Amino acid sequence: MSASDITLAAAVAAMIAGAAGTALTRDVTRLVVSLGAFLLSVAAIFLIVASSLLAIAQVFVYVGGVLVLVLFALMVVHRDTDERVGLDSLHDIGAAAVAVAVFAGLVALLLPLAGTTGSQTRALPNDIGAFLLGDGVVAFEIAGVLLLVALLAVLVVVKGGEDR
Amino acid sequence: MIVVIGCAAAFAIGLYAVLTRRELIAILAGAEVMLGAANVQLVALALARGGDPAVASGFSLLVVVVAAAEAAVGLSIVVTAYRSGARSRLEEFGEVDAE
Repeated sequence: MSASDITLAAAVAAMIAGAAGTALTRDVTRLVVSLGAFLLSVAAIFLIVASSLLAIAQVFVYVGGVLVLVLFALMVVHRDTDERVGLDSLHDIGAAAVAVAVFAGLVALLLPLAGTTGSQTRALPNDIGAFLLGDGVVAFEIAGVLLLVALLAVLVVVKGGEDR
Repeated sequence: MIVVIGCAAAFAIGLYAVLTRRELIAILAGAEVMLGAANVQLVALALARGGDPAVASGFSLLVVVVAAAEAAVGLSIVVTAYRSGARSRLEEFGEVDAE
């Protein structure tokens, strides 16, 4: 087992721990920290298996953008309460059974697909840029339009809330 | 292989959070976990199948963009719902009429 494999295993373990913390913790601060740990672990996995550009984008967009947005929303929603905010969960056997069934289904479906040939090369930023502005230009443009639509949707939602 | 199993586990945990959480922001965090796990799965499987790393990374980058848009819209709905009636939990939105 190489050092790269050990690092990858540690990143996967951190990802699962972060996801579990996000799902189970009752403290809102721990929720944000767990989500941050999950997102950073995902960036680490990207760095190991795929591309440094993808890892940096993950850190900038998710950790630097989405996580700050979540913190901002928590500050707005819970600004009137002085005590520590608790997060309730409705733990039941049905939800756990659904989650376990989905896990088993995904493993049964995807595991035979993995580990057949295996690509050891990692993508360079130049290659990703060439793809996005070459064969993937339609998807790239659609993503840009989607971002614009999302921006307009946020404005409409917030304006609608102010008018009410 | 370890990435595929780990991502499946993270996806299932995120699904459990979406199903069991009562607070809107916590539900959104669960959805983010599901999306992140699916994104890693996409790249890992593409590379395991011998796909072009640039194509896999490019599509993964687009998924990150879509996830950011989803988070922005979701959080704006959460904040607007709270400001229009101090609602931040599922129960406070009333029941959906089945008929």
